[in-house]
Amino acid sequence: MSRPFPYAYISCPCADTPVPDPGRKRRSRDPSHKSDSTAPVPQNYDFEDERTFDPRSPRSNFSLYPPEQLLYCEDCHQIKCPRCITEEIVCWYCPNCLFETPSSMVRSEGNRCARNCFNCPSCTAPLAVTTLENVTGGGSQQGPWVLSCGYCMWTTLDIGIKFDKPTNIRTQLSKMTDTSRGRQMSKTFSDLKSPLSTYSSIDEQFSSGVDNRGDTSSPTNETSGPLNPEARFQALKNFYKNQIAATSSSSSDPLTDFGGGISSPGALNRIMSLYTSSSRLSSLYGGATKKPKSKPPVMREALTASEGLKVPPPDAETALIQRMASDDCGWDGMASIDQRCFQSPDARFVEDLLPLPVLLRTKRSKRCKSCKHILVKPEFKPQSTRFRIRLIALSYIPLPTLKPLIPSPYAGLPTVSPAISSTIAPNLDALSPLKTVQLLLTLKNHMFDPVRVTLATPSVTPGRVASKVTILCPQFDIGANSDVWDEALQNSTAPGSTDQRGSRSGTLGSSEKVAEAGKVWDKGRNWTTVALEVVPGTLPGGSTTTTAATTKTRKPAAPDSDDSDDDFGFDQNTASLDWSGQSKDPNLLPLQPDEDVLEIPVFVRLEWDSENQIDQEQSVGRQTSDTVKRELAYWMVLGVGRISPEVL
Amino acid sequence: MPPKVAKGEYIETDTGNKISRRSQIHGTQHIILGGKTVIQAEAVIRGDLYRSSTSSSSTSSEGTPGSPSVAITIGRYSYISKQAVLRPPSRLHRGVHSFYPLKIGDHVFVGERAVVEAASVGNHVHVGKDAVIGSMAILKDFAYVLDGAVVAPGMVVPSWCVVGGAPARIVGEVGEGYGVEGAEGGLARERYRVVGR
Repeated sequence: MSRPFPYAYISCPCADTPVPDPGRKRRSRDPSHKSDSTAPVPQNYDFEDERTFDPRSPRSNFSLYPPEQLLYCEDCHQIKCPRCITEEIVCWYCPNCLFETPSSMVRSEGNRCARNCFNCPSCTAPLAVTTLENVTGGGSQQGPWVLSCGYCMWTTLDIGIKFDKPTNIRTQLSKMTDTSRGRQMSKTFSDLKSPLSTYSSIDEQFSSGVDNRGDTSSPTNETSGPLNPEARFQALKNFYKNQIAATSSSSSDPLTDFGGGISSPGALNRIMSLYTSSSRLSSLYGGATKKPKSKPPVMREALTASEGLKVPPPDAETALIQRMASDDCGWDGMASIDQRCFQSPDARFVEDLLPLPVLLRTKRSKRCKSCKHILVKPEFKPQSTRFRIRLIALSYIPLPTLKPLIPSPYAGLPTVSPAISSTIAPNLDALSPLKTVQLLLTLKNHMFDPVRVTLATPSVTPGRVASKVTILCPQFDIGANSDVWDEALQNSTAPGSTDQRGSRSGTLGSSEKVAEAGKVWDKGRNWTTVALEVVPGTLPGGSTTTTAATTKTRKPAAPDSDDSDDDFGFDQNTASLDWSGQSKDPNLLPLQPDEDVLEIPVFVRLEWDSENQIDQEQSVGRQTSDTVKRELAYWMVLGVGRISPEVL
Repeated sequence: MPPKVAKGEYIETDTGNKISRRSQIHGTQHIILGGKTVIQAEAVIRGDLYRSSTSSSSTSSEGTPGSPSVAITIGRYSYISKQAVLRPPSRLHRGVHSFYPLKIGDHVFVGERAVVEAASVGNHVHVGKDAVIGSMAILKDFAYVLDGAVVAPGMVVPSWCVVGGAPARIVGEVGEGYGVEGAEGGLARERYRVVGR
């Protein structure tokens, strides 16, 4: 979901985990490596805080989030992104019928809806239970029922399935698919669950009396036909489980209980025996010394159909091919790869497609990964949209919104010629280079304490397309998010606030207001708007003079690091384009995807006095009577627009 | 707020609905607007497709006979973009083709050229532009339909889920902060305020 312009993303600080220092020099020499490591290497000063966040760095992809997706941990006093939380399932529900499925049932029956919810095997749209007989009156709707897709018009009639009653379709269907495909009705899961590891002679030497009752059922099972896929899977699973149990119990190695649940105990035994035989611990175990001589037990594969073996008939392949080539099948008769992904492996034709019971979804509670503090706890009921706990970042950090300031007809700025400046809002999808755009950044405070904000931005955006950015008022205060009633009362008593509001919205239409440096644009109860001036840079395909100019401006900002000078030159190239390492001249390279997007990294620093809570010793600053000075800092990226290639 | 000029783009009703003069609204007596709803130009709202009382004798949920049956209900601060089409859903029930009411909740956004035939659209639902919501679909609160998605008839989109594609599938979830006033999903008041200025 890419957002339309303008947008504001917030970078979670968790991506700033410092990279170990020794690797830095090598990375800066090797541009191909650098693309996946810290991108702002050229700006890498001695201390980390001084780095400029590069929104174009590949790493930024993983740290930038829209503000509403971020959480906030009150214990860590930190923004938490989806990477810094753990999730726990609160409940399972079907997204179609919105009924909850108990987790015990999910474990036993699988995570699919056990009711009448199915997805179309052909197009994945939900299927509806419909009757075949359109009885006009009377209510005698006893006709056969089918599942039909409202999107692609697929019905279960296409695979020759009708249902007797409109309820409990899942069980009806599972019965039908067993019988209609010539499977044994008598064979249910419970039959198959009996461990059947004692038939063959190979088994005899391993079976240490695990199970011998399989002998009674073996004649029937041997004669039975092939199983349906689910039953075969169960049989194979049981078979392997027994194999592991049998092989590990027959060996004398005391360490095999480590490998009990692992599919290849022999391999693990060998590894573990390396330790036991060489260490002094081996003397503690009686059998350990002679163990290397005994051969690791052999695991066999399934041999009979009841163990899950399926031997296709010898002409199965040719029959399939002939059927594919026949006229009545054709291309349309074949199931597509996408369709087959959700079907049994044997399904090759559209006639084999079975309706898919809807996969369940979950409601999850979220915890902070570092302190295990719970951040989000939804209500248990699947239908409820309420939360018991919801610590979203928006309640703690000011919500940024960006708007273009519609230029007024005055010729205030010397760069803007009066001909260009019009009352029309700038087209953010095609910003003309070198033409100043003014933007309004509103920060809205949701905390109950007033916040002092400091914004900082590099004067030139990182990357090849260097746009100049000026925040006209980088330091300002935002009022507290006081009671809404306060605002209402203010509105009734003092008309000033309503006027402000009106004036702000009035400025959206046509502004007589001039953005001044050092002054906030507008201010409300809990929000403050400041103006930004942006001069979009030219794209590399255009004139090279501006890019040369920007390299000049960039050079003083470059680090006087101990890296050699040619390193630095390389850095400049590769920092601006992260993925195309070996280029010599960045200006000659074609425009990379989304390189023309004008994104401004803004460093936000918040300071506020919050009420002291009991368990917060790690809070920043000294404690005054019962308030604590807090601060929070993070990077934010403002997506202004896309720069058009033509210089107007 | 200054009174509207008579020949503005929008008609503003007593309850604050802003309805473009260029919208096409049929069967107005069967449409309920909750107030502060915005209906943009060339939007089509088919209030004339209401359930006729003859066929609704058996399962009439709404209503005393005589009162006009409601075809479309739209909640507060909902926004119907340009060229969007709202049609009550219909179904063939016992051989009779009949319409059912379309209920749209509060703070709903319907994008440009979207076609909505849902049975119910919850609060804070976003329907992207060019999306198609099939007949009798249900969009629960805070559902998010991506641009160009085709929600199959009868589909249920659970709360907080993002659906996209044709046919639409659940492709993700919106964040917990979705719908907070002023943030994504909570811009309905702001949207309403700037209309007609």
